[in-house]
Amino acid sequence: MNLLRRLGPALLAPVLAVVVALVISSAVMAALAVNPFDVFGVMLDFGATPIQQVTAMVVIVNRAIPLFLAGLAVAIAFRMGLFNIGVEGQYRLATIVAAAVGAAVSLPAPLHIGLIVVVAVVVAAFWAGIVAVLKVTRGVSEVLSSILLNFIALVTASYLLTGPFRGSLPGASIISTAEIPASGQMPGLNGIFDVFGLANPPRQLYGFLLVAAVVGILIAVLLNRTRFGFDLKASGMSPSAASASGVNARSMVIKTMLLSGAVAGLIGLPDLLGNTHKYTTDFTAGLGFLGIAVALLGRNKPLGIAFAALLFAFLDRSLVPLQIANYPSSVVTIVQGTIVLAVVVANEIARRVARRSAAGGTAAPADGPASGDGSTGVVPTPPPGSTDQRQGAQA
Amino acid sequence: MAAPGVTGGSPGVGAPAQGAPYAVELRGITKRFPGVVANRNIELRVRRGEVHAIVGENGAGKSTLMKTLYGMHRPDEGTILLDGREVTFRSPADAIDAGIGMVHQHFMLADNFTVLENIVLGSEPTRGGRLDLAEGRRRIREISERYALDLDPDELVEHLGVGDRQRVEIAKVLYRGATTLILDEPTAVLVPQEVDELFGNLAELKREGLTVIFISHKLDEVRKVADSITVIRRGTTVGEADPKTTTARQLAEMMVGSELPSPETRTSTVRDVVVLELRGVTVATPGGRPAVDDVSFAVREGEVVGIAGVEGNGQAELVDAVMGLRPLAAGSVLLGDQDITAWSTRARREAAFGFIPEDRHRQGMLLEGTLWENRILGHQTRPPAAKGWFIDRKAARADTERIMKDYDVRAPGPDTLAVALSGGNQQKLIVGREMESSPRLLVAAHPTRGVDVGAQAAIWELLKDARAEGMAILLISADLDELIGLSDTLHVMLRGRLVATLDPGSCTPEQLGGHMTGAHGTAGAA
Repeated sequence: MNLLRRLGPALLAPVLAVVVALVISSAVMAALAVNPFDVFGVMLDFGATPIQQVTAMVVIVNRAIPLFLAGLAVAIAFRMGLFNIGVEGQYRLATIVAAAVGAAVSLPAPLHIGLIVVVAVVVAAFWAGIVAVLKVTRGVSEVLSSILLNFIALVTASYLLTGPFRGSLPGASIISTAEIPASGQMPGLNGIFDVFGLANPPRQLYGFLLVAAVVGILIAVLLNRTRFGFDLKASGMSPSAASASGVNARSMVIKTMLLSGAVAGLIGLPDLLGNTHKYTTDFTAGLGFLGIAVALLGRNKPLGIAFAALLFAFLDRSLVPLQIANYPSSVVTIVQGTIVLAVVVANEIARRVARRSAAGGTAAPADGPASGDGSTGVVPTPPPGSTDQRQGAQA
Repeated sequence: MAAPGVTGGSPGVGAPAQGAPYAVELRGITKRFPGVVANRNIELRVRRGEVHAIVGENGAGKSTLMKTLYGMHRPDEGTILLDGREVTFRSPADAIDAGIGMVHQHFMLADNFTVLENIVLGSEPTRGGRLDLAEGRRRIREISERYALDLDPDELVEHLGVGDRQRVEIAKVLYRGATTLILDEPTAVLVPQEVDELFGNLAELKREGLTVIFISHKLDEVRKVADSITVIRRGTTVGEADPKTTTARQLAEMMVGSELPSPETRTSTVRDVVVLELRGVTVATPGGRPAVDDVSFAVREGEVVGIAGVEGNGQAELVDAVMGLRPLAAGSVLLGDQDITAWSTRARREAAFGFIPEDRHRQGMLLEGTLWENRILGHQTRPPAAKGWFIDRKAARADTERIMKDYDVRAPGPDTLAVALSGGNQQKLIVGREMESSPRLLVAAHPTRGVDVGAQAAIWELLKDARAEGMAILLISADLDELIGLSDTLHVMLRGRLVATLDPGSCTPEQLGGHMTGAHGTAGAA
């Protein structure tokens, strides 16, 4: 009962959002004369043989790892009300620099991988740090600066790939950095399939899964159990109350963006270390933007983000089977898009429901008379700086 | 308990003896919210053409009751009768149609609109589908004349003072044809002179046969203006009182059900040690007169230094400057003999500063946070909240429970969201957490604003005890009785400057009010 009451509001919004998204996308499919149930059937079909099914799951988990890290990076900033839209640029730039450094050096295995990780983290944190510095020194909105820095990061990454970091032969169809030597490649985790007696597919389950899990736990502890996490949460709930409590707003912006960027730096590494071993022109793109959706769906909580990442990865996996079955693969994009839209609406609804039930059903004056109904209300909320002691005064 | 002139809460049936039905009658109103009964068996009878006051603690259920009467929610039980007819309100629009108007405590006016535009907004007069401002102007003039509201329809609202704005709000309700006006704590934002003007307006309304329901917890005012008084305690009406025969003290005791202390502190506990000293503190505002202009004063151990002033004369900026929330343009702040001008807010808090902010929702609380999170807000770097770099949730929760018990914060538990508490309980939590860190200096800005008599008395007691133990207190307040009663030294702030230093032992609220509005010039300036 207690658990349900605590989790109820938290689960309500995302579940509602997913259901609404499925209904809307079914309607779109029906309008396009595609039977939505057939499409969902294809999406849920993981193949006939055990090896196909395990492969499908490996594909999903491998895709979920970077999505989880992206969601985490966005969520850290979200928690204090910062919108780090720049995760995309942060991880792309970080990945190419890390790939180039990894290919250029030769070290013993753990050190080599460690160096690549550190380089990626530092580069992405630096890139996010620019946003923070602009915000605290010049008051530039982090939304604007991080979007613009995305463009600069992508152009810079292209320049680096075609210029100084180019490792592929001239005339090759795909331009790439030089390959990271074996000591800098991360082994897969396929051993666990044998342990559990499952079919061992040829596709490798990324070893980075363990790193992502550790990062997820560390971030969860940091956000929920530490003084830093408390300051961050307080800043997100009420910047003015946080300042009055002694939180230095400027340094919080910088610390939070650096942390968000640092996590963003990890996003490209599962693919880089576990699969491609080099940065290519067709390296996985768009994870930074998907990360925003994942963070929203996961309500900025590490565990929620993990589930959201798995859901998005599941949807992404069905792209290829859908095309094979001759269905428009844009169905997946529609579902993902409507989830984002629905989740924003659902989160707001859930927030109001939670707040209203917490306030003992007391509608704040702001929720009551809308302007024009003849009450004295014109501005729906009391002016800032006033003490609204009537709000929630009855409980 | 039983006071002269107080009749019991026994429900009378039907109409008053004279035969005319009551303008407003509530019978057995009960309103439940999940987990609480906000109103229980409310009986209210208001005669036509009277000023009827409803007094009660914050959290006693006054606002819930008024929302019921204004159609913002429907009661679970009971009936509402207007002029003897039973009515059901689905929304405020229904209530307005029935002639009920509400003047909210916080003005809801658009600054950049004229009085005329603000009043007609939402029920614009039209002719042939086009806005007919001339008609609106005519009607507003008529209303203004009839009720002596003295309004110029074409004045911009931003040029108006607080009292004028309130009259605009009243005109707005009258414009919509209200015959029963609900005024929610209308005097909370007014200085004494403005209160008198408001009461003059209410007399006009009464003379014209309108009914006024006046919600307040300032008992002296209630006794001055009301024809009859209904007292609410813990969600239910405890009785009616005749203001002519009931003293404020008797009323207050009805409200809280016990005897009350007063804010007065008698013996001086001021010691020689200066805790806080401000030297020529100036806070600049972008392009304009400084918000705080060359302010100097000292607060000693065991001393309460009061800052009086009409709101918006630099008190908020002064508090920010003391707490390190706003940079100084000039001057310095000293803690003992140490210059702390450059210290961060956190450093100040950790060193010795307690802070009860003026606006608890903006600066004092995380409304969407739990009580234990609010308990450690501002103290998150010190025990019991912190254990090294970590937050000690268990200790924080336990300490929150202790504070809830010691300071009488009424809430289900430390995991309750702060938004669920009444204003008085939120304030008690804030006062409790600040007192518990044993600060050397307490900056208390409007510490009893918007809290009920019971909580107010409790907070006054705490401040007095702390003062006796040697705490230095900087008190900023708009409650003149509180300032005069608690302060050892009283400074008056006007347009950013300290214009007078008064002896709280010998000055009256009227004198103080005169200094606050500048009427006394700078006589006796510091």
